[in-house]
Order: sequence, then structure tokens, then C-alpha cells
Amino acid sequence: MSSAVVSTHYISEKVARVRWLPEALQQSERFVTGSWDMDKNFVRLWKLQSNQHVSATGGDDVEQIPRCMDKVAMEDDVTAVEFVDNNTLAVSCADGHLSLMNVQRAVEEDQVQRVARSGQLHCFQRSQEPAPCTDIAIYGTDIATTGEDGCVNIVSAENIRLVKRTIEADSMALFSLCYVSQQELVAANRMGVVRMLDARLATEAQPNIGLMLPCRDDKSSNFVSSITTHPSQQHILLCGSEEGTITVWDLRNLEYPASYISAHDSPVNEIGFHRQDTTKLFTASETGEVWMWSENRAYGGDANWKDGNSPWLSGDRVRALINVEGVITGTRKAMNSFDVHGSRLVCGGDTEAVYIVDNIA
Amino acid sequence: MSDSSVPVFELGDPLSTLGTNTVTGVFVPGNKIALSAYRHVKHNSRDEPTETAGEAPVLIYMTQETTLFDEPVLRSILAEANATFVTLQQLGLEASRAKYVNISRAYRSIVRASLEKLHLAKMSPEVQTDEKRLQRFTDAIIVFYAAECLWHLFEILYVQNNQMVVRQLLEWARFHSPQTEDRATDLVLMEEEASEADDYWSILKSLILLGQVDFVRAMLSQNRKAGQPAFRAAELILKSMPVYQEGYALQKFNSQWEHWHVDTQRKITANVFATEPELEQLLKLVAGDNKEWDAGIMESQDWYEYLPGYLLFTKPTCKPYELRIAASNWLNRWTLLRPDKQLTNMSRMVTQLMEHDIKLFIFEAQKLNDTHWFSTHLIDLIYHSGQLKSYFDQHNIDLPALRHSMIYEYGSYLMGSHNLWQLGIDYLDCCKQEGKATIELLLPRIPIRSERLATKLISLARQRGLVSVEEEICKVLAKRSYDNQRYSNALEWAIRSKDVRLVTAIADHILKHCSETGKLLCGDTLTYIGGRMFASPRLVFLTKYHEFHQFYHNRDFLVASELLVNLLESKITPNYFWPSLIMDALPLLESRDPKIFAKETITILHQIETALVPIIEQNKEKHGHDHTAALLKDYRAENIADIMNFMRLACARNLARALIFENTVK
Repeated sequence: MSSAVVSTHYISEKVARVRWLPEALQQSERFVTGSWDMDKNFVRLWKLQSNQHVSATGGDDVEQIPRCMDKVAMEDDVTAVEFVDNNTLAVSCADGHLSLMNVQRAVEEDQVQRVARSGQLHCFQRSQEPAPCTDIAIYGTDIATTGEDGCVNIVSAENIRLVKRTIEADSMALFSLCYVSQQELVAANRMGVVRMLDARLATEAQPNIGLMLPCRDDKSSNFVSSITTHPSQQHILLCGSEEGTITVWDLRNLEYPASYISAHDSPVNEIGFHRQDTTKLFTASETGEVWMWSENRAYGGDANWKDGNSPWLSGDRVRALINVEGVITGTRKAMNSFDVHGSRLVCGGDTEAVYIVDNIA
Repeated sequence: MSDSSVPVFELGDPLSTLGTNTVTGVFVPGNKIALSAYRHVKHNSRDEPTETAGEAPVLIYMTQETTLFDEPVLRSILAEANATFVTLQQLGLEASRAKYVNISRAYRSIVRASLEKLHLAKMSPEVQTDEKRLQRFTDAIIVFYAAECLWHLFEILYVQNNQMVVRQLLEWARFHSPQTEDRATDLVLMEEEASEADDYWSILKSLILLGQVDFVRAMLSQNRKAGQPAFRAAELILKSMPVYQEGYALQKFNSQWEHWHVDTQRKITANVFATEPELEQLLKLVAGDNKEWDAGIMESQDWYEYLPGYLLFTKPTCKPYELRIAASNWLNRWTLLRPDKQLTNMSRMVTQLMEHDIKLFIFEAQKLNDTHWFSTHLIDLIYHSGQLKSYFDQHNIDLPALRHSMIYEYGSYLMGSHNLWQLGIDYLDCCKQEGKATIELLLPRIPIRSERLATKLISLARQRGLVSVEEEICKVLAKRSYDNQRYSNALEWAIRSKDVRLVTAIADHILKHCSETGKLLCGDTLTYIGGRMFASPRLVFLTKYHEFHQFYHNRDFLVASELLVNLLESKITPNYFWPSLIMDALPLLESRDPKIFAKETITILHQIETALVPIIEQNKEKHGHDHTAALLKDYRAENIADIMNFMRLACARNLARALIFENTVK
């Protein structure tokens, strides 16, 4: 990690989400950010450009700086941003709407445009006031959204105005959402209950399966702040919690969590595996840390983890099998989101800056 | 930036201009002033309604100071300075000088970067067409340019702790009058052609006045006549000018410099440059000729512009304490020659810095229209670097207290401003108890638009051990969800708020709803409530009752009956829920194969007689016979008397069945 270079760029916006533009064959040079808690919130498209101000001596100078290429004004806080395909991104907003945007890569000026906006996907039943959309999950062209109203809506990227299915999943605010397979979704609420949902079934027919997040103190709540599945072994579900712990479930055995790891000392705002290298997991916390968790090769490497086993499922031994390193520490203000592509990590949060880490691992 | 421009705004309120009315204002938290019409009432005024009562509306106006930071570009100054500020706090009081210089540079680079961004943004079409914004940008550039310039000078004189200051001052002057240098660069690039340029000699002269010897040499060497003796002699003089380097023996340098100086003057008087009058003028400046420098003064914009240059050619080893005299002499000379020129605020502040009048400087710094960004961060740096400690002691200024109050003010300003609270909280964290109390006051005032934001606030409060803030936020959200009829959500927030009465109230609502309709709300939440049910006895009851419902629903009657009996004798049953509980017990009691044992049946009877009957009696006493029906009822049975009859009968029957069943030998 000694070779990792962190550069900080202040962008005058609190960053809610940040995502690299997907690139198949090369290192991505562009990323999008969504802002929150500003007078006007934007989805911005950034491109890394070589620094004009590199001094002759070199030294600590940053080689590449992001420049804002284009922006789209949003109605309210951006709550989640995910790519549906290489050029299309889904953006959820705190006014309960979902937007689809199209990105055009160009040599000079890239562009981002809103191509569609959904109807009111989330609202509170009694007052009919909009409920903030809290997270989105994508599988193929299906986009699922959750909101504080406890509903999960599934729309297709081809026509986001048409809601394919609405599941009243919970009577409490849902905070995060993740696809396990094309049919199965998991949604987590503020009390720490992770519910398994079937995208094919209506509310009444939903299987009543819930997982309760373990909590340090039995009498207090511990919400699921972020959730992800292992990219190649989708039965492994990882939940980051309000207390800063990571709970791993093996979805083939729901009786008890497979592993429980104490990590940060504040909510884990985002958790996710490296897109290409699945031996690496990253977490970002409310106190401004980004950590990298990598499988310890010394313990036999991949060979041992056949038959769907994984070091993440090894209970108390996880700590021995997984190394933790701090990628970013000491920013003290919430790190809301990160994304890794190739050897580069970008993250951002309430410091109103984006951090670009080169040569990661 | 002038003192006389007091901000004025108009309030078009008809009521406040009527008769003897005037305006009154009250400070409201969050840097606002509430203004309204006002009439002075004395002890002898007649107590009667005003003539406009009921006709003219009394309007209350909220005013707020506009700040430059509404402009998104400038937010980065606040955000970045915040990070540097925290680094400085971590550095503490004992770090090496170089560290403080680095911090000071970091602050300046923040301002410089923002100035660059401002210039760029100002050129953009969306700003150019918007006159108000354009003005804002112009103002911001002036303010932050001044801040950078002053900070730079401050750094040279009071943070770096140099022995000699002339080199650094030259650098400072050079940076703050870049036009000359830009033009000079153009001319150097033109090479020989440059000698024909109209402003060739005037630029050369400005360069000398600014002390840019290297540039002058480069330009002179490109002159067409560079080969001529006069030019060669000039080049020799400039080249041989002794430059003081740190660690060099001062005496030796002084004698060398004196020798060079005398030599230059001798060459001028020997008319070596007589053939080239312009060149001669330059060299007279180099030799410190007063007449030539006076001419230079006449062309300068600000009094301090050419001071570093003058020092270079007359007193190259000027020490910080000597600068005070040199500066005041130079200023006197400048004002004598240019009596028409008024000193700007910025010029005055430069004077104060050079004359070591820090007290006044800080006072003036607070007048900058930057909501005290500059003064707060500077004071904090002064405090940490400890450089001026003796100065403040001498002048009886309590520096720690001054720093504390400035940081406190700045922090509470940020904290009270829309969406800057995350930055403000760091400043208030430095203010010990006072800061903590302010955070405690201001944190719950931040409007909560989403639960995500609420969790962030809670996390901040938790880090600081502000339990009351956390609970207050949860309570507000619980209330809000309750009003929205989102009872699960309300219940969870209420549990988080640890407010027993609130939890009880929500659980009560759910129970009452159940006894009225038979539908138990929030089932999905109650299933997973676990240990959290101990937040309130009522919630324990509700959870257990929900459990009973589940078992009953799944036809697991034995476990259900056991639970029900437990509930009946638990002594936590709310009065209003007795009828429902009994109605639930009836089918179990009437079941053909006994679900409830004889002993337990007796317990139930006992509970009914000792717990429920007194409640019914009490109700009768209070409300008379008619009302009891209304107070104690269930959706399945209206009248409590009927319920009691059914119950007693059912118990008797079950007892009979159970006794036979239990005592039959199989």
C-alpha cells in the first residue's frame, strides 16, 4: 500500500454517491458524483485531466485532476447512483423519484443528460408526501428502489415510468437494498432486519424470511447502513451496520450469521467488493475512513475456497484470513461513497471533496 | 472595504412609518434578526388598542446577513480551511516552526486556488450576464485577494521568523503586482525586437523599482546595443551586486556591498552611462538616487509597492525590527509626495503589519467582509505558533481568550447557517464546554429532511456524548412518524429515544387499535423487536401479546394458552385491554379438549377477581354504570358485564373439564 497515492480535490459539494463510468478494457477516467444537502443538488460528470500546474520539480504534485464536464440539476438530494449499462445511470432522489441519465463520452466535452424520470415511486400513505428514496439495486435491466415508506419498487430500465412490481416490504423505513439473484432481493430496515424478497411475488405472497442483525447491546437498535453480496458467490451477503460492524450471512443457512466482524466505530456508509478482483472488499465509514479488506493469500489461497466456501464465512477465523488496511484515514467527516475500478479508487463525502487513490493494491 | 459604507437596507413596512411608530429588532438564533413595527409604550400611556388594530397586519421580517459563501465556488475555501484548521489543532503548540509555516502556506494556497477558480467562474457566461452575481464575484475577489496579500506579509514577518526580510518582501511585492512581470516576460520572448517596444524602458524601470534584477539583466542583454560599453558596464554592476545569503558574515557582506555601492555611484558620476540617458536613470535607481525614487513613487499605486525594491538597493540587510522605521519613513515620503492619495484599508493594514501594530491589524482584519474567515484562522495560527506571545502579553491581550471567542463566533455562525453545520461543528469542538453547549443547542435545530440526515446527526451527537440531542432528534422523528400513521417507524424511533412514556403511548395506540378492530398493527416489527421491548412495560405486554397472536394464528394452542395465562397474571395488562384479553381467553377455555389446566384456570379466575373487578368497580364509581360499557370494551363484546358473565361461565366449564381430564387415570 505504500505506493498508493491519495489526491484530494475540493468540489464545493457534499458527495452522496460516486461511481466510475464502466470501461471494459481500460482504466476508467471518468466518474459521476451526486450531491446532497446543498441549495441545489447536481449529478456531475468528471473527467481526469492532466494537471496543467505541475511544477518543474515534480515532487508531491498531482498528475491528474478531475474537471467537471457536465451536470444535471436534481430536484432534491441525490441518494444513490448506479450504472445500468455502460452509458446509462440510474439516480435516485430524496423526492421519491428515479431518473435515468445518459452519458456521452467524447474527446473534448463529455455530456450527461437526463433521459427519463419515473413517477412518484415512494410516498407516505397517509399524507401522500413524497418519501425519500434511499437506495437502488440493479440486476440486468431491472432497477429496484427502496424508500423510507418501506416499499420496494421494481422498474425496467426500458421504461421507468411503468412500475413492474411494488412490494410493501416493511412497515419501517428501509435503508438499503441488494439483489441476490434475478428473483431475490434483500432489503434492510432501520431496526436491523434484513428481509428476503421475491421479485416475482406480490406483497401478500412474500416469504416471511427475515434476518436480525446482531447488536452489541440487545436493547438498542443497529440499522443496516449498507449491504452487498459477493460478486461471484452470491450466497454470501455482507451487511455493514450502524455500529460499524460487518455481519456476513451464508444465505444457504439462515439460522445464524456466518461471521461477525468489528470494523469501524461508526456507521459503515458503503460496503463493496472490487469490481474485478473479488478477493478485495472496501468499506467507507461515517468517521471518514476507507478500509481495504483483502484475503490473506498465505492461508492456502483460492484452492481452499472451492465448493462455495469463502474466508468471509469462516466465523471467528475471519480476522486471521483477511487483512485490513486503511486506504483513507483521518478525514473525520463522513465518507459517504466510494468506487473502485482497476487500480484506482475514488471516494467522497461530507468533506466536500473527492479523493482519488492511485495504485491501490 | 471602506469604513463609511454601513450596510443599509429598506423595510417597506407601512405600520412602522405610521405616526410615532418605529422598528424594533430581536436577535434570533442562527444569525438572524427579526424586525417588526414597534411603538414605545410608557407607564403613563393609555392602555387601549391602537388605531390600526385589526386593520394593518403586523408583519415580522427575518433578516440575515448575506455572505459571500452563498456562492458555491467559495464553499471550498470554508471546507478546505476547515481541514487545515483541524490539522493545526492536532499539531498543537509544540511543533517546529517549519510545520507552522507549512500550515500558513496551506491556508494561502487555499485562497490562491479559490481566487483562480473565482477568476475562471467570473468569466463564465452565466456569471457575466448576471449583474448581481458578477458584483458578488468582484467583491469576493477583492476580499480574498486582500486576505492572501496580508496573510503572505504576515507569514514573512511573523511566522517564518527570518533574520533578513528583503528577499521575502521582494517575492511578496512581485506576486502582488504581476502585470509588470507578465509584460516583461512578453518582452523577453520578443528578444531583440523588444528594444523597439514603446514601453521597453518604462517596464525596465518598473522592474528595477520592484527589485527584479534578474529580469532587468535578461532584458538588457537582449538589447540591440547590448555590446556597447555602457550596457556592458551596467551588466557588470548588476551582475556583481552582492546578494546576502543566510549564514554569511554580516560585516563582510556589508563592506562588500558598500564597496559595490560606492563603485556604482562613482561610475554614474563619471558619466559612463551619459550616452544612454534611460540606462543612466535605471542605474541611478540602483544606486538609490533619491530624486529618481521620488519619481518612482509618483507612479506607484500603493505606498508599499516599491518599498521592497528600495530596501534592496539601499538596505539589503534590513531586519524585521528595522523594517518598522524604514516603512514609516517610506510612508511619510509617499504621503508627502502624493498628498491627494487616500490610504485604502488594505494599505493601512499593510502599514500596521510592517509597523508591528498587530492589535490594530487584527481589529481591522475583522472588518473584512469574509464573515471572519481571515481573522479567525489567522488568530488561531498566531496562538499555535506562539511567535507573538510576548507582544500580546505586553499589550495586555489575552490571546487564548481572543482566539477562543473568535473561533466560537465563527463556529456558531457556520453551525447556524444552512448546510455548513458539518464544518462549524469542528470549530465548536475546540471551544470546550461553551462549544459543547452550543452544539447541544444548535444540532437539534438543523432541519431533518430525511432519515439519512437524522442518522448522521445522531452519529455526531453520539461521538460527542450528547445523549439529550440524540434523544431529542429521535423523539421528533417518532412524533412525526406517529402523525403520519407510520406506527412501526414511530415505535422504533421512540425506542431509540429511550423515552418510556413515548414508547408506552405508541404501544397503547397499537393495543387500543387492536381491541377496537381486532387487527394488530406493526406485526412485522414486533416479530423482531427482541430485547428492545424492555424500553417500556407496555411494549413488553404488546410484544408478548403479539407472540400470543402468532401462536394462536398458527394453531399452536397449548403454547398460546400458556402465554395468555402468563399475560393475565403478569400485572402489566393495561386496564383498557382486559376485555380483549378475556375475549381471547374464551375460545381457549371453551375448547372441548382442555387447553388450560385446572390450576391455571383458578389463577385466571383469581386474577379476574383481584385485578379486573376492582377496575370495573372504580370505573363505576367514577363514571356511573352507563359509561363502563364505553370504557371497557372489545370489538367482539360491547358490555363488560356480559364479558364477565361469559368469562366466569367459561372458567367454570373449563375447570370442570380440566379437573376430570387431569384426574382421569389412563
